[in-house]
Amino acid sequence: MEALKNAVNFSDFPRIDRFVAGAVFCFLAAYPIFPHSAFAMATMIQFFIFSLYGMGWNTIGGYGGQVDLGQAQYVGIGAYTTMVCLLRWDIPFWISMPIGACLAMAWSFVIGYPLFKLRGHYFAIASIATSLVLKDLFEVWKFVGASRGLGILPSKYQPPDFLRLIFKEDVYYYYSIFGFFIIGLLFMNWFRKSRLGFQLRSIKDNEDMARSLGINVQWAKIKTYAIATAFVSVVGSFHAVYIKNIEPEDTMSLDLSILIALMAMLGGAGSFWGPVIGAGVLIPLKSYLKEWLGAAAGLVGIDLIIYGLIIMLISAFEPRGIWGMVERLRRRKRI
Amino acid sequence: MDILVGSLVAGILLGLVLALVALGLTIIFGVMDIVNFAHGEFLMIGMYTGLLTAQATGMDPLFTLPVAAVIGFLLGVLCYNGFVKFLLRGPMIAQLLGTFGLMLVLRNLSLLFFGSEDRSLQHGLLVGQSFDIGMGIIVSATKLAVAVLAVASFIGVWLLMNRTKIGKALTATALNRQGARYMGIPTERMNALAWGIGGGTVTVAGALIVNFWSVNPYVGLTFTMIAFTVVALGGFGSVPGAFFAGLAVGLIMEIPGFWDFFSITFNLAWMSNVPMISFKYTWIYLSYFVIMLISPRGLFGWKH
Repeated sequence: MEALKNAVNFSDFPRIDRFVAGAVFCFLAAYPIFPHSAFAMATMIQFFIFSLYGMGWNTIGGYGGQVDLGQAQYVGIGAYTTMVCLLRWDIPFWISMPIGACLAMAWSFVIGYPLFKLRGHYFAIASIATSLVLKDLFEVWKFVGASRGLGILPSKYQPPDFLRLIFKEDVYYYYSIFGFFIIGLLFMNWFRKSRLGFQLRSIKDNEDMARSLGINVQWAKIKTYAIATAFVSVVGSFHAVYIKNIEPEDTMSLDLSILIALMAMLGGAGSFWGPVIGAGVLIPLKSYLKEWLGAAAGLVGIDLIIYGLIIMLISAFEPRGIWGMVERLRRRKRI
Repeated sequence: MDILVGSLVAGILLGLVLALVALGLTIIFGVMDIVNFAHGEFLMIGMYTGLLTAQATGMDPLFTLPVAAVIGFLLGVLCYNGFVKFLLRGPMIAQLLGTFGLMLVLRNLSLLFFGSEDRSLQHGLLVGQSFDIGMGIIVSATKLAVAVLAVASFIGVWLLMNRTKIGKALTATALNRQGARYMGIPTERMNALAWGIGGGTVTVAGALIVNFWSVNPYVGLTFTMIAFTVVALGGFGSVPGAFFAGLAVGLIMEIPGFWDFFSITFNLAWMSNVPMISFKYTWIYLSYFVIMLISPRGLFGWKH
């Protein structure tokens, strides 16, 4: 009960934050009513998916300061669990999603225990290595379709199928992921005020100090890692039924892991609104750059060049992200 | 038996080149504690440099190394002064993602300029030549020459690091930046120099590798991971460590060959059914993970 009260209580944010967030919330809730193209709709759903990924990463990477670059493996676990359950045994989404989350958490305990003995760069690269090992396994594992992946034929089901989450119109997907988004925000709001959240922030500031104050550093990191992976794998399950066609290359690649971390960092790692802002800036930018420039003949990859330049500029000149900029402006005004 | 010895020889020859690939990474890491994700992209640029210079001038590809070294050195210094210098002020995550951005830019710039198709060397003094070293083991002449040249470049860098004043200044900067600055060593310039040497050695390695490996703009990431493994095994920041770890990783990359040897010699059906060749790189990632868990400092590491 206390936890629920904490989750819905946003009163410690400044009034202007709450006002802007409320306005954006109303806009997002009403968005499908406005005239929009199918492409804009798909971009909005991508925005929700990635802001949720970013929130998951933000628990361990932002609040905890452990730069994990292997989150894509949990996207893969979630997506593949849902897909395999649906195709082989016709298990609906709402049952396969928690199964996927449990599998992801189990796997996170298996690799998290050794992984968190490492720090800094060593941890980051080791997390990449585990993710790539899992991807290589999935690429030869015949049960999950090897490198060709798995696909749903929507014609086999009768959309709208609310049990399996298979729809024809994107509006349904929009509102389902919007629901996940709200739950995610509430969860994050609880998490940042929870005991674990405070423990993590102290670990980020000074790990040795945190240990000397009696925090079980290893266990706190592993717990948070499990939370992050559950988050990411749930959204991965949604990704599977939304995209309807998954393969190791696009659900488990390093690029996806980096994109997730980047999203949170661009918005501001370790801040509540960071992942949402980061996804809100980066996802439209990325998909529209691709739409405008990537398709132009003779300019292959120019969208990714611009995207890479933005990453370089942000990390060189504003490593605390957009939220860091906002906070600096605020501090200056107050003085 | 010939498969076993053949795999051993191939692994060692490859390992010598991989050692040179990782050398730049370990120097950069040792001097300034930054992990360079764009390392494989530098290698890719070295491969294109070797390939295009050889094709444009008609020189033998083995003689394009000076061009590659100069280009790599300039690229490294440019990257440091134009970009990495600013990264060093930020937190670790900014450094990781920043060099990842550099990697994206370099990769896609070469995609824009060179196209996405595989290219490889068709001609050259040694291309296609091979000789028998006994027991039915055939070693291609390019690989042998490449391995010898890699060792030569390695010795060159080792001498530079250990027998010259500049090398001593670099080591001093790596050991204690502040102390080095008090002693009058221009640490900023040493950082740039480390990036220059790092870029130069890796592009030389690229120009060597292109003799037996086809190049496309996406080749970089695999080599980045290989280089990370070599550096982790050898110890972050250690030059001799990189050499021996390179040999070890070369042998790890030949695991499919050893696997074949065992499955044929002992006639084990289950072994030959495993598609070992698709796990070629998995062993590298796995060994990185295991090495880091057993000994984060690696074999010869002195930094933690």
